[in-house]
Amino acid sequence: MNGIRNWVINNHDLAFAILLAVCVYGYFGLTNEFFATHRTTFAILERFAVLGLVGLALTLCIIAGEIDLSIGSNAALAAVIAVRFTDSLGAVSAILIALGIATAIGIVQGYFIAYLRVRAIVLTVGTLMLLRGVALFAAEEKTVMLTDFRVPDFITTKMFGYFSPASILVIAMFILVGLFMNFTRFGREIYAIGGARKEALAAGVNLKRPMIIVFAISGFCAGLGGVIIGLRSGTAQALGLQYLLLAGTVAAFIGGVSILGGKGGVVGAAIGTLTVNFLNTGLVFNVTPAFMVQLYLGVLLMIVIMFQTGSRIFDQKQRRKQILGDVDARRGPLLARRLAAARRAPP
Amino acid sequence: MTSDLIGGARNAATGFVDRLVRDYSGLVVCLIALFLIVFIAGMVTAPNFLTIFNFKTIIRDAALVGIMAVGLTFVTLSGNFFLLSMKETAALSIICFATSMSAGYGFEISFLLTMAIALVAGAAQGALIGLGGNPIVVTLGAAGLLFGLGSWWSDNLVVSFRRPHGAEWLGTGSFLGLPNITIAFILIAVTAELVLRYTKFGRQVYLVGANRAAGRATGHENFAMAIKVCIIASLCSAFVAVAFSAQVSSAHVNYFSSEFGSSGDMTIMVIATVMVGGNSIMGGFGSTLRSSLGAIFISTVDNMMVLHGFNSGPRVLAVGLMIVFSIIVFALVRRGARAQE
Repeated sequence: MNGIRNWVINNHDLAFAILLAVCVYGYFGLTNEFFATHRTTFAILERFAVLGLVGLALTLCIIAGEIDLSIGSNAALAAVIAVRFTDSLGAVSAILIALGIATAIGIVQGYFIAYLRVRAIVLTVGTLMLLRGVALFAAEEKTVMLTDFRVPDFITTKMFGYFSPASILVIAMFILVGLFMNFTRFGREIYAIGGARKEALAAGVNLKRPMIIVFAISGFCAGLGGVIIGLRSGTAQALGLQYLLLAGTVAAFIGGVSILGGKGGVVGAAIGTLTVNFLNTGLVFNVTPAFMVQLYLGVLLMIVIMFQTGSRIFDQKQRRKQILGDVDARRGPLLARRLAAARRAPP
Repeated sequence: MTSDLIGGARNAATGFVDRLVRDYSGLVVCLIALFLIVFIAGMVTAPNFLTIFNFKTIIRDAALVGIMAVGLTFVTLSGNFFLLSMKETAALSIICFATSMSAGYGFEISFLLTMAIALVAGAAQGALIGLGGNPIVVTLGAAGLLFGLGSWWSDNLVVSFRRPHGAEWLGTGSFLGLPNITIAFILIAVTAELVLRYTKFGRQVYLVGANRAAGRATGHENFAMAIKVCIIASLCSAFVAVAFSAQVSSAHVNYFSSEFGSSGDMTIMVIATVMVGGNSIMGGFGSTLRSSLGAIFISTVDNMMVLHGFNSGPRVLAVGLMIVFSIIVFALVRRGARAQE
């Protein structure tokens, strides 16, 4: 019991995320008889496959103190490429091409962000538009479609009761990235440049390496998400998938990242994504139109931001009070000593 | 104050060339050169490009994005990056305006109501940003919220109101041969430029943007500033929404989303305009004049590509390339000035 208490105190963000996830799941599970069933769980995991990747990518970016706005465009580009080339080149090479391009885009972005020393939002808002243009170009302004539907069938086959190949792949990806972030030097560098960039640079971290790694992973995740969406539905649109950014950001913030960077982790990303998925799926069950889901997500993000900002301001006030208190505590004896010295000395 | 204004105006007129040479680094020269190259290339290759009518079309196309960009410039100059909720504010505003118009309230009441809603939306976002929330994340959330509110209010349907209505003069009217929207764009751009250059508020915007610590030390907190600039940006969005709605006599939340105009979605277009104009995205450097010129530049390029028969793909690509190019040039030129805070 004591162990649990300590864990909660040490990981209060994660504990809050888990609590929120359980609450959302519990609410929909109790109010809707179809929610806590085998089929719904499968559907939630299917959604998790895409949104989880985006949430993971954004979590890594925010841990590094940056944010990748071009994630939706990158995913759309990968989806268009994968769908377009599956018929002519076969699924495997199409997927590889799409993933390769998405990762290469991420690497180039990361390199330029580190080289030019601009904030990632500045560059990625440009590439957001650029990649959308490239995707439109690649799709020839049309909705591209598959003719052979064996690939979508394979992606959505059920395995082990609850999983599909896509969701297994994504879960494996989560585990790999989690191990990478926690147990390798490169992963720790990413935390370092997010939490304390100046200190990390002073300590000899080369800004380029972690930045390129983060954006490469981000690009890969976005690409994989796009490929899964595209091949699962058999169609892809160049202007689609823009909603991923909001959903992914909400997931990352519920998972406990801080906009200042250096906080949060892969477990948080998974739980945050699951919470968003529960909310999404539950709202769909209650026949909520899509724009209302966006409304709820917006509200959720605003609330999380308000909490974070509020707690930061509270922290600052506490720290200030403590410093002032320390100063007072030291100044008291000092003044007394000086007064005594003045009294002792003859005028 | 008045003498200041007159003196400033005289200086601005006489010293324009001097300042161009002295202050403006290679970037503006580059942009102007690029503009000239594009202009000449277009002149030579596209037959209908160099007509008065086409020139008016370019400015009219630039007007809506340009007004929003002028509003957003205040946010950018004050060091709060940009708002991702520009088009969603416009979406909520357009629904508000059209609903009010179709319910039979006159233009004035509808206009004031729309502006009031935009003011509240802007002030709320500004307050959150001013308290220390990241502008991007706050406005990303606000975007979802405002868009959802607009869809919910209109039930995701098209709201239309019948002609003749009190707003026609703004949407389709013209004065001295120029459409009223163009005139509004010019007026707003000139006013904003004067406010930024010659008023206390304008100078404060630059101070807070250029050096936040110095601003705080001299009593200019970002809190009040963020609220003010976000309100300005929101009001500009709402004005664009009203003008657009007056033009087409209807409203739908998706008017400003992906299909608007030519190049993808409106928010990104507005940000692109601010960036291509050559404003420092980190704040403290730039002007609304640059944003207005950026809008006209993008519109010119777009117009020329249309005349050459390009589809939307290459056109979006061109705008994207322009943004990235401007970011890279700007980062290289201003390197070290305010790198990595």
